[in-house]
Amino acid sequence: MQIYLPIAEISVNIFLLLGLGTGVGFLSGMFGVGGGFLLTPLLFFIGIPPAVAVSSQANQIVASSASGALVHWRRQTLDPKMGTLLLVGGFAGSIVGVQIFTAMRELGQIDLIISLSYVGFLGTIGALMFIESVRSILRRNQAPERREGGVKRGKRGWIDTLPFKMRFPRSGLYISVIPPVLIGFFVGALSAIMGVGGGFVIVPAMIYILRMPTNVVVGTSLFQILFVTALTTFLQAAQNQTVDVVLAMMLTVGGVIGAQFGARAGRHVKAEELRALLAIMVVGVCIKLGLDLVVTPADMFVVLPHGGGGS
Amino acid sequence: MMMLALALLVQQPMVNEAPGIMAALTQETVEIRENFAGTSLVLYGATRGLTLRDEIVVVLRGPDQDLRVMRKRRSFGIWVNTAPVDFPTVPSYYAMASSLPIDVIASPESLTRNGIGLESLLHPQTSPDEDDPDETELENYRAAVLRAGGRDALYAETPGGVDVLDGGLFRAVLKMPPRTPVGNYTAEVYLFRDGRPVASRTTSLRVEKAGFERLVYEFAHNAPMIYGLFCVALAMLAGYLAALIFGRD
Repeated sequence: MQIYLPIAEISVNIFLLLGLGTGVGFLSGMFGVGGGFLLTPLLFFIGIPPAVAVSSQANQIVASSASGALVHWRRQTLDPKMGTLLLVGGFAGSIVGVQIFTAMRELGQIDLIISLSYVGFLGTIGALMFIESVRSILRRNQAPERREGGVKRGKRGWIDTLPFKMRFPRSGLYISVIPPVLIGFFVGALSAIMGVGGGFVIVPAMIYILRMPTNVVVGTSLFQILFVTALTTFLQAAQNQTVDVVLAMMLTVGGVIGAQFGARAGRHVKAEELRALLAIMVVGVCIKLGLDLVVTPADMFVVLPHGGGGS
Repeated sequence: MMMLALALLVQQPMVNEAPGIMAALTQETVEIRENFAGTSLVLYGATRGLTLRDEIVVVLRGPDQDLRVMRKRRSFGIWVNTAPVDFPTVPSYYAMASSLPIDVIASPESLTRNGIGLESLLHPQTSPDEDDPDETELENYRAAVLRAGGRDALYAETPGGVDVLDGGLFRAVLKMPPRTPVGNYTAEVYLFRDGRPVASRTTSLRVEKAGFERLVYEFAHNAPMIYGLFCVALAMLAGYLAALIFGRD
């Protein structure tokens, strides 16, 4: 059954969209990430114009992160103070990101920027995550007592030398406000350009840079992602008219259902193994997109709409 | 009206008359609704003074758009879009059907002179500040436009797509793909004799989004800010409902 998407202006199979949403929702429920980094390239692949895919994807992440953040809010595994700081940076980043997106689209380079961002970030983060998770799997198999001295109250790094310190009771931290704002800014810009929530950047950043306790990381990340993607959706709709609400809702329905099954399946797998699996997936997407950049294209020319658009 | 006119045309005797042609589409608007997956249009027409030397060409042309074509070049190992060439006012849809292959009916020069065929409508504009591509390179750019349109079935040429029936009547079926752009279309019919058009006629067609599709599209374009807020609110509501239904464990 075909459905015509009013903004993307193409007709796609309704079950394909629901299936994509469910599949990615399953993975996102399992790994605790938004799944945008998988879904956006898939949407490109089925022929959704990149600009529409990125913007509608942000809209879909609003739904999935809202549902997740609510659960964490109730369980009190969300640090609202840290989340708000990340947001301050995130809002600024999102505004800058949408401007970059618009400018690059006019130059005809948006596809390249999106692909390069994907390859760069997915490659780096995937590799780091993979190394880290393999190490902890190995460590787990060795001596259990050695795990104590690790991350928790370790060395004082450059983070602690920064000014404007603030207390974060929920996270049990006393750190400068600069790193959270910067991280937020970075993720906000990324979210606008790549159409991802940025969970795969912000979660490792909170663990390794801010050294937040793991139990509040996911909730806080969802909180920040929720508001940043909401702003991104609004800005893309207002400035570029590229948000396809029909597409976003199709993906949301599939995604919500998939996430529930994914979360259940995830409980049967150990945390380190989950992270290793996620890392393999991230690196896989990165390699695929990286190859597309290097392999000689079938058509040496690209035809783009120019100026005020066709319709 | 149309049938009457057709009947009048057909009834007239076919000897030594000034050649004439007329045509009508089976519908004046094509509506794109949520289940739109392409459609076909039937064009009926009648000719006056049709002889054995005559051939018919039908062109359906969609709204114009400005295109920019860029060549991919390898730079630091990756493929980058470079050397843009703009093609202003290129039809977004162009279907041509004819009673014989078009190169048999008329010479390329004759077609270009009369603005028939996509090739005659591609006028590249090179940016003066950059090193301009030469004529052979521009030919590659033109070919790229035709290729891109052909991939989405937006550009189509059907030799033999015009059926000439008895009594100077003819019929052509034109396919509109799922990606058919919205806007004003024109259908042109030409009567060719000895490689030159001796009569032509134009009718119009509108392709528009209808129903729900139209509602969403107009909402997004007429009130983009409110539409943005609406999308966000809808997504938050969906997330809230999901948390409500599944979130208790």
